[in-house]
Amino acid sequence: MAERRRARRPPLLPLAIIVAFVAVAVLAGVASPADPYAQHLRSRLAPPIWSAGGSWQHPLGTDRLGRDLLSRLFYGARVSLAAGVVTVALAGAVGGGVGLVAGYLRGRTGALLMRVTDATLAFPIILLALVLAVTLGPSFANVVVAIAVILWARYARVIYGEVVALMERDFIAQARALGASPVRIIAFHLFPNTANTLVVLVSLQVGYVIVVEAALSFLGAGIPPPTPAWGSMIAEGRDYITSAWWVSLFPGLAILLVVLAFNLMGDWLRDVLDPRLGQF
Amino acid sequence: MRRFLAVRLVQSLATLLLLSLAVFILARATGDPLSLILPMAATEEDYANARRYLGLDRPLPEQYVSFLVRAARGDFGTSLRARRPVNELLRERFPNSLKLAGFAMALSLLVAFPLGVAAAARKGTLVDTAAKTVAALGQALPTFFVGIVLIEVVAGRLQWLPAGGTGGLAHYVLPGVTLGWFVLAGLMRLLRSSVLEVLDADYVRTARAKGATERAVVWRHALRNALIPVVTFAGVSFAILVTTAVVVETVFAWPGMGRLAYEAISGRDFPVIQAVVLVTGAVVAAVNLAVDLLYVWIDPRIRYG
Amino acid sequence: MRRSTLTSLLVLCLVTAAPAWAQPSPGELTVVLSSLSTEALDPILAGHIVKFYLSLMFDYLVGATPDGQLSRDGGVATRWEASADGKRWTFHLRRGVRFHTGDELTAEDVKFSILRALGPRSTTGYAQGLRQLVKEIETPAPDRVVIVTKDTTAMIPTLLSRLLSTEGMILPKQYVEAKGDDGFARAPVGSGPYRFVEQVSGSHVRLEAVPSHWRLGTPKYKTVVFKAVPEETTRIAMLRRGEADVVEISRERMKEVAGAGYPVHLRREDGQIEGWFVQPWAQTPIRDKRVREALNLAIDRKELAETVFGGQASPAAVPFGLSWSFPEIKFKITPEMVYAHDPGRAKRLLADAGYANGFPIDIFAFQLPGFPEGRAMAEAIAGYWQHVGLKPRLIPVDYPAFRKQWFDRTAPGALGYYNIANRDWIGTYALIDKYAAPSAKSASIRDPELDSLMDAVIHQADREKTYALMRSIFNRLRSEHLGLPLVYYHTPYATSKRVPRWNPGAIMYELNVDELLAGK
Repeated sequence: MAERRRARRPPLLPLAIIVAFVAVAVLAGVASPADPYAQHLRSRLAPPIWSAGGSWQHPLGTDRLGRDLLSRLFYGARVSLAAGVVTVALAGAVGGGVGLVAGYLRGRTGALLMRVTDATLAFPIILLALVLAVTLGPSFANVVVAIAVILWARYARVIYGEVVALMERDFIAQARALGASPVRIIAFHLFPNTANTLVVLVSLQVGYVIVVEAALSFLGAGIPPPTPAWGSMIAEGRDYITSAWWVSLFPGLAILLVVLAFNLMGDWLRDVLDPRLGQF
Repeated sequence: MRRFLAVRLVQSLATLLLLSLAVFILARATGDPLSLILPMAATEEDYANARRYLGLDRPLPEQYVSFLVRAARGDFGTSLRARRPVNELLRERFPNSLKLAGFAMALSLLVAFPLGVAAAARKGTLVDTAAKTVAALGQALPTFFVGIVLIEVVAGRLQWLPAGGTGGLAHYVLPGVTLGWFVLAGLMRLLRSSVLEVLDADYVRTARAKGATERAVVWRHALRNALIPVVTFAGVSFAILVTTAVVVETVFAWPGMGRLAYEAISGRDFPVIQAVVLVTGAVVAAVNLAVDLLYVWIDPRIRYG
Repeated sequence: MRRSTLTSLLVLCLVTAAPAWAQPSPGELTVVLSSLSTEALDPILAGHIVKFYLSLMFDYLVGATPDGQLSRDGGVATRWEASADGKRWTFHLRRGVRFHTGDELTAEDVKFSILRALGPRSTTGYAQGLRQLVKEIETPAPDRVVIVTKDTTAMIPTLLSRLLSTEGMILPKQYVEAKGDDGFARAPVGSGPYRFVEQVSGSHVRLEAVPSHWRLGTPKYKTVVFKAVPEETTRIAMLRRGEADVVEISRERMKEVAGAGYPVHLRREDGQIEGWFVQPWAQTPIRDKRVREALNLAIDRKELAETVFGGQASPAAVPFGLSWSFPEIKFKITPEMVYAHDPGRAKRLLADAGYANGFPIDIFAFQLPGFPEGRAMAEAIAGYWQHVGLKPRLIPVDYPAFRKQWFDRTAPGALGYYNIANRDWIGTYALIDKYAAPSAKSASIRDPELDSLMDAVIHQADREKTYALMRSIFNRLRSEHLGLPLVYYHTPYATSKRVPRWNPGAIMYELNVDELLAGK
């Protein structure tokens, strides 16, 4: 039993990391030593403070256009975290909604919805996002939509499974017998019983979204420059891994920490809220 | 069982039909291949000629039906960009993708098993945390970054392994590790939670009560039953690996399906985009079907009406 | 799944992993590029973008020296002459040139190949210009071909040479007719020093030497492999591990590679980075000459060249104007022609034109093969323009998406750019024509004066007068600020230590691999 209690205690380190990065994102405007967009080509690829040639002017050095890396990292926290959270929220809303409706209705509409879900799942993930990004044109919103499109179907699948099981339960039959409207049943009976699962799924994938955005940046279809996003900062810096390692390493570390933290938090949430959920 | 199979088959076909429509529309939404194929000085007349020659002047519904009819017979037309039959391109690329994904998957499973079981058996200890962290690392960094660092260090500096391209066994190691590490997190986590769940189950408790050693309990009883979700996940991951290794394929110059699709999207090469998505969609559908059947095989208690 | 099952699965994977690329052997030369483009094997389907390997598989009607002069030694034609009116061009063919099938190359093959390159299926870069010029082709003898033109012209030999695209490549008539176009495209046969062996799309093209070729003798390397490796770190690692002999590298990483002891070979002034403004200009500020000058003056080209281009570039002066034949046509770029970096004057000019508060201007940002600095440069330009009070907006896209908007003219006044290869003046003329001809979809310059100069060149038979017209064209482009010339760039290639000396040549869209291969 002691073991169980320990598992229920939130993991402090990941929590602290997330809180710290959220703070950085919120305070980017005040905390940044410089304008993240200001270019100084002559002082491009300046090294961080502790290397030979580093200076306090740019504590973590500069990127290929001479922009202050620390400031871009701070503003990047805003962009990347927002991208992660907004995307999973959007995907969660759509996927959860489809799962709930399809599971409640079953029948032809339900079957059609699930076939659309399956078709989305069968679409190669990165390629779907790439096609959408190319079609819609690059912008923060479009990248969010493109990644949400590839995520919602997973949520829909899982929620659908849960709802189908719930529909067999007595309390749903009772609610129906009492004349509750479909909307009421979905909103007040089905949704609360699947909310835990949804929260776990969604929290486990904030990190995944950040990494997928980076992959899209690598393929030239991520959040467009000059907006600082961690993914595009790594992608831009990859040509300098031998000559100016700091350009890609610092955003790389930021992603590493945040994604690890989100994944460990998600793990914990699952253990607490929905231990049966294994797949994700 | 037969009825179940029939229903699943019909469902899969319906899914593929929807997929074909989606990719047909999406591919055309990406833009116009002609401005890339024709020289800069081409006139409107050249464009009209090329459109006719390539069959892009026909009404869209007609193009879709002819695409569908030919695809059903396994003919995906001719690449607009390479001007070769798409099937030929698929034949060159698909085996490479399968082999790399197979290698990565095998590697990942080999590591996931000991890691997942150890984490479950010592839940909440340092071993558990360490195992989870190692697995999660693979998903916490963009694969292109992992790949490039591996290439720089292992191929460039140490010169132990080839940097890119297909070839003998050695060529598989770096891309395989990059790709395998990425799926490791999911596999390991799943294995851990399945084993945990089974360890709690009645029959395991019975085994324990009967005096079986903890080691025997974990390996003989728990693992076997924890396999079901793992097989599902491994199957689906394998299908996903085949299709979405585009980033790894780019970094390692691996001529697989992902890279083919990427090149096709860049070139607005509709027939190739359609073929890659449909073929890989079919693989995903087939794997899902196979996994359903495997359930029955692994756990005979599952019976389908 | 038991362990043994897993192990056998692993073993299965390894066994089926058949070797396709072996380690380079002494008899194999491996050239690693960032892209093999469309990977087409039929010269008329791709044109210049795949000349790298096609130039080894096929011979040209007219050869060229590595530094870009027409040559009687490098092509199938040993000499050529024009009739007095400049409308009949006679080419005398080399005897004893054989295709890889063993058949001898004759005048019929030359006629067939040129007509095919001008045909409706051809998508090569200069087919359009040739179609307008060529009236008919005569074959009075097996070793003689006469090209009859509609107009007086001096351009025929250059258009059919190795200097430009692939229109001058000679194909075996009988073989192509027997195999059909599709069959030929899959198993191409030429008369070049190497014959086609194998292609794996997205991976490589492998060629094998022909014994005792008239052009290269018996080559030093039995096979040549052209590989496509998009990621630069991978290419450099391949060089270090000995998996590659010739490697495309970026200007940025040139020092690093040279520092590691690998020979780096520069193609000096390999091309010009040229910006232009998408048509139509009429309703945009770009129509105003003062605005175009201001946009030019706002940019610090020296800084761009020294930073973004890693010091391997110099400021460019004339829009669309880079040609190694400037000395031939007696055009000289004077220091005054190079735009000064003068933000103050740029602001004044903008104010004069009525844009004291600036205006929004779109900048497309994309990468191109051989031009990895594309996006960084676009961002830097946005920075310069912001600095003089404009409101630049970056539109990062892939090149095809830009090209569509450019051709459809849906982004008037927006900035696009390209890395334009240095070339012979006829090539430069043809290039300017693509950007200036009012009827072309790609037209990006509006200037009636320039149009009449361009028109005059085609109908001018006199050499000196033609040169004078070309000089006027370049001066007009510069004085009207009809584009945004950015930098002239050098292109570095690194080689393995076993390939120490090498002149990568100046011919556009190919490398002088011939020199590495040539036998005794």
